[in-house]
Amino acid sequence: MSAAEKRLRIAREELENVINICENVEKRGLNPFTVNVGELLSKLRKMLEENPDLEYYAIDAETMYKIATLIALQHKWLRERAQALFVDAQMIVTRLIAMDKKAIVKAFLRSWRPIISLEQITPNRLRRGMDHFLSLPPRSEGRIWGWRISQREMEFIKGRLAEEEEVAEKVEKLREELLMVYKERGEVDYWEFVRRERFKETFERAYLLSFLITEGYVEVKRNPLKNEIKLIPRKEKVKHEQPVSLVIAIGVSGSEW
Amino acid sequence: MSGEESFSKKLMMAAAMLLFRSHRKPGVKGWELKHRLGRNYIKIIDALNSHLKSLGLEVKTALEEGEDLDKARFYITMARPLMLSDIVTAGWSIDEVAALAVTLSILVSRGGKAPVKDVLEVLETKFPKWKAEAHLERAIRRGYIDKGEDDVLTLGWRAKVELDQKELLTSMLEARPSEQSGEESQEE
Repeated sequence: MSAAEKRLRIAREELENVINICENVEKRGLNPFTVNVGELLSKLRKMLEENPDLEYYAIDAETMYKIATLIALQHKWLRERAQALFVDAQMIVTRLIAMDKKAIVKAFLRSWRPIISLEQITPNRLRRGMDHFLSLPPRSEGRIWGWRISQREMEFIKGRLAEEEEVAEKVEKLREELLMVYKERGEVDYWEFVRRERFKETFERAYLLSFLITEGYVEVKRNPLKNEIKLIPRKEKVKHEQPVSLVIAIGVSGSEW
Repeated sequence: MSGEESFSKKLMMAAAMLLFRSHRKPGVKGWELKHRLGRNYIKIIDALNSHLKSLGLEVKTALEEGEDLDKARFYITMARPLMLSDIVTAGWSIDEVAALAVTLSILVSRGGKAPVKDVLEVLETKFPKWKAEAHLERAIRRGYIDKGEDDVLTLGWRAKVELDQKELLTSMLEARPSEQSGEESQEE
């Protein structure tokens, strides 16, 4: 980086700093007289003489604009101070800290004229209140109505019901199939019954079969020595006194599926 | 209907419109009054004002867009200062009004603007931090203060309508803690 470039960069940073100061005073409502405008302007003139560069002129113009805004703020500040009888903000803060709450309230009441208005129920507000009430979930058995189901929730529930019906239909179909195989060959080998060409189908059959087993429509006989699992379907639901959980892992090996 | 009856009916209508709150913000716009009361609505408002004066109330007009009265907002406010006991009856707590007074005094003394941090610093000399923040939030919700993006507080629409800013600073400067405590004990 050449010396001129370095000088320009430093000058730009300084100007940006001045812009930030001016913006901060404007945004945060600080005392604009804390900034020495005269000093800033002479600094600006010096920098302008040292940097006869177009890019510098642009940022210099922006700084000039911000300083002009600051002068306008100083004017406004003076006018407001005059209107407020040149009361110092710090003095007010000191008073506020020293006074107790009741004293503050009493002083405030002298200048405060609150708006008088009456709140009343309107048909629109009543309707909104009712909508809100009906959208609340019932809290206990005591309330039998309320919790109006929205259209979106209704669609979701319908979707879930349709899904459940579909699953129930598939489970029934699988049970009939198992009964038929059992009638032809006796005890049915689990893997023989479940396995299909595609993994997705196998998984679905195993999943549906698990419902039949859990419900007691199919009995499972496991022979660990032969590593066999046999299925015996029942026409009626059989309730087990001590149900045992059985985990059958379905692997996804590339050779099989 | 005679002219007098019609005027009286319009007077009642104006009172109902101004007293009952029909929008989120209290008050009624000039054009709404014009729509219901007719072109001479200002005359009706003036008549209502003289009736209200005897009750310690008055109609206040807040110009919002230039000098156009149709675009101004009309409110009914108290005409005289409230007593300490009145504010409790009106549903305010002393703490709440004190916090509002502190906040508004700081804002007015600083030309209508101050960072939240500076206001909270003073409020925290009177209240625990959580309470100071809660009071400030409530004042913002009620329209007394506006909070900008840079955490700078400004006077809200309600403060501009309800507050005599010059009077506030004068009374804060005139109130003396020692004298005030004396007055309080007398009152209590």
